[in-house]
Amino acid sequence: MHALIQGLILGVLTGGVYALMASGQTLIFGIMKVVNLAQGAFVIASAYLAFTLFTRFGIDPFLAVLITTPLMFCIGAAGQWLFLRPLRRENAAELSLLVTFALALLIEGILSVTYSTTYRSINTGYANKSFEVAGYTVSAVRLYGFLLSIALLGLLYGVLQKTRFGRAIRATVQNPQSAALLGVDATRVQAYGFGLGISTAAASGSIFGLLYPFQSGSHYDLISRLLSVVVLGGLGSIGGAVLAGIAIGVVSSVAAVLWSPTWSEMSFFVVLLLVLLVRPQGMFGRVERGAV
Amino acid sequence: MTTASMHQSRLVTPAGLTRASAFTALLVALPLVFNAHWMVNLLFFTVLYAAMSVAWNLIGGYAGYPSLGHAAFFGLGAYGVSLVFTGSQVLSNGYEPFLLLPLVGLGAGLIALPIGLIAMRTRADVFAIVTITLLFVAQTLAFNLKGLTGGAQGASVAPPPFRLEIFEQPFYFAAAALLLLAMGLTYLAVRTKIGLALTAIRADEDKARGIGIRTTAVKLMAFSVSVGLVAMAGGIWAYYVGFVYPQFAVDPLLTIAIVLMTFLGGRATLWGPVLGAAILMPAQQLLAYYVGGSRLYLIAYAAIFLLIILLLPRGVLPTVFHRRRLSALAATASQAEAQAVPSTGPEVLRPPTVMASEPSYVQTSAGERR
Amino acid sequence: MTALLDVTGMTKRFGHLTAVDACSFSVAEGSITALIGPNGSGKTTVFNLITGYLPTDSGSVAFDGRSIAGADPGGLYRQGLSRTFQQARVFGDLTVQENLVVAAGGSWRSVFGRRMSRSDRIRAAELLEEFKLSHVADLFASELSWGQRKLLEFAAVLMSRPRLVLLDEPTAGVNPLLIQTMASHIRSYNATGVTFLIVEHDMSFVMTVCDQVIVLDRGKTICVGTPEAVQSDPRVLDAYLGD
Repeated sequence: MHALIQGLILGVLTGGVYALMASGQTLIFGIMKVVNLAQGAFVIASAYLAFTLFTRFGIDPFLAVLITTPLMFCIGAAGQWLFLRPLRRENAAELSLLVTFALALLIEGILSVTYSTTYRSINTGYANKSFEVAGYTVSAVRLYGFLLSIALLGLLYGVLQKTRFGRAIRATVQNPQSAALLGVDATRVQAYGFGLGISTAAASGSIFGLLYPFQSGSHYDLISRLLSVVVLGGLGSIGGAVLAGIAIGVVSSVAAVLWSPTWSEMSFFVVLLLVLLVRPQGMFGRVERGAV
Repeated sequence: MTTASMHQSRLVTPAGLTRASAFTALLVALPLVFNAHWMVNLLFFTVLYAAMSVAWNLIGGYAGYPSLGHAAFFGLGAYGVSLVFTGSQVLSNGYEPFLLLPLVGLGAGLIALPIGLIAMRTRADVFAIVTITLLFVAQTLAFNLKGLTGGAQGASVAPPPFRLEIFEQPFYFAAAALLLLAMGLTYLAVRTKIGLALTAIRADEDKARGIGIRTTAVKLMAFSVSVGLVAMAGGIWAYYVGFVYPQFAVDPLLTIAIVLMTFLGGRATLWGPVLGAAILMPAQQLLAYYVGGSRLYLIAYAAIFLLIILLLPRGVLPTVFHRRRLSALAATASQAEAQAVPSTGPEVLRPPTVMASEPSYVQTSAGERR
Repeated sequence: MTALLDVTGMTKRFGHLTAVDACSFSVAEGSITALIGPNGSGKTTVFNLITGYLPTDSGSVAFDGRSIAGADPGGLYRQGLSRTFQQARVFGDLTVQENLVVAAGGSWRSVFGRRMSRSDRIRAAELLEEFKLSHVADLFASELSWGQRKLLEFAAVLMSRPRLVLLDEPTAGVNPLLIQTMASHIRSYNATGVTFLIVEHDMSFVMTVCDQVIVLDRGKTICVGTPEAVQSDPRVLDAYLGD
């Protein structure tokens, strides 16, 4: 029982970080119907950036977020402008899958040239610190990471709900045609929206780098989990992604406790397949109606 | 009615037969003419990837279901062959693995049925995600089912007893046979109602279901055949390389290579994937040769990848067909104008500028109808 | 005349909105029935419910005396109930001729039959001739004009020799000449025994083509009758002008 609750705590904390990563990915899908296969690669790139900022300049990974977030935003917006905007509309959905996969490979290639392929980890002074609460251990890094993720998710929510830019995005998500009629500049929204989606990778990269050793190929593991999260949450639904992120974090860490860590990996996919069997649109996704 | 459309009602046309025999002759002649080891090795991989691209095209091109999980079935075939022929007392490791391949394909095709049934409840984007997830499931399994796969240490396949001078040739011919099989099945699919149904599904699946097309059955069939062929390719590959490691047997890059080949040559065309493989595989090997040792390989590969998609989004063959069609239509339109028949009313007579609105996808039937 | 289609108490809710509210009506065999009503009165939703594109929340639908609630659109199509869409859903990647052939229905075995058999071709050629589409037979449907697409979708629906055809705004966005053509096609197929149920906004079309009119307002049937009777019914005027 103790182990189970311990697993539960761990799951919620880890799930929060996945929720942050996935929120960006699902936002990108909502805005432009692009499944961003490079989200994981951007997270790993951010982890490397945080690693460099820490080892070279002694900047704490949590503070580095202030630098990496705007940077990732710019890279994301530029990437959308360069590679996704030119795609022809009628088969943009399939082509964009390939483009983002190519971007992931490009990032992986650049990272492996710059940093070689050995595993890195960010070892801060508090890396191994942990708190004891009522007999349960809570790792400091995980707790801080979780809190930061929740704070950023709140910030993202605020941006989407309260700002003009956020309203333009939400209008585009709901109905691109009407949004265009209302004077929303779709190309602008798409570029900035992609940037915003990628910028969530920055903070999650820092946290990921603190939690796990990583190398340039780690994005494959990440993206498979992220995809499960966003499909489970219903593509395009940020609330769904957050809940699914936490749910999947809990399921996999509980599975790790009950069976073995190797198989906790699989639990992601099993949950995904089971949900799709019942609800092809995901837990919180809207049904796309065939009839119009 | 044109001569071409008169042949439509026949399942196999004389022109089709001629092209098939010429291509078979070419496939047979290639390794005999270019018989250097490195050359046959290159030919082997080109033809193997061409076969897989043709297979992928069935579901990814014609039906518009962009599977990213085909590598999982490649792995399935590879491990299947390694399991049967390692330490087997009954079966020899001569030509028997090749004879076993149809069973491997059949097995993978059957396993694909329930998977496809679940995965194809979702559409394009989500389908791509579900299948890529499948790939990672397979990879995890390959690493962890150590009893069957040997885990990260890999699994060996009993080495084939072929003479060194012609070592690659049996593998090459097996791959060539697989390519011909894949192309033959595609040809038959296109020439039957299955092809019509697949294209209708790609264009508007709900409407297709609404007009009584058995969408689920047709999709499942295409998916099952497609991955069955890829599993057979995996089996040949495993026997050829002799050692199966999880990261190579279930490799996202493999999926992406066959998708890219299909895109480059032209989706939903019979010859497009073959052309794509014939261009990309040698290019890939060349690239590996020049920058192979360094990690620049991945960057160069990604860059070529991006360039192809941005510059040639429809692929080579559809672009060619489209140009040809444009000029043909312009010719008939100017003829019609000369005759100036107003009988059909203003709505029906279309000026050649119609073509500004291109077919919404690559050309299909027109491509097969040369 | 007996009822070919019988809708009783059909209801559909989208969240808090009741799009179709205990709607009941019947379509007589051999008739050309119009389904009219102000925008948002639920006409297209009724079509989607009858043809199985949407599940009904409650109520029943009977086609030829048999209940078809919850049936699959493809199954209904094979039973002789087919429809067109407001925005003319044709298969852009198939040629005009193939668009007809693919709609011919057919048995399980025919899936493995030739892409275009002789009988397919003959039947398609007849329809193409009749709809004056022969000269575009080999064009891709995506290359057709809007009006031609409307015609093509209509022609395709007839390939399977249906008993009841639901047309969703056959004249929307179509030029006056083509509206005449549509009307004459509907009449001539009606003469061969095909029953039509038509959602339509063009009242003069309804008056000249249809012999029965069902008026829908906010998801309810408010009035049924001949075009003349309906035209002079005060409830219909109220529905259109609002209260």
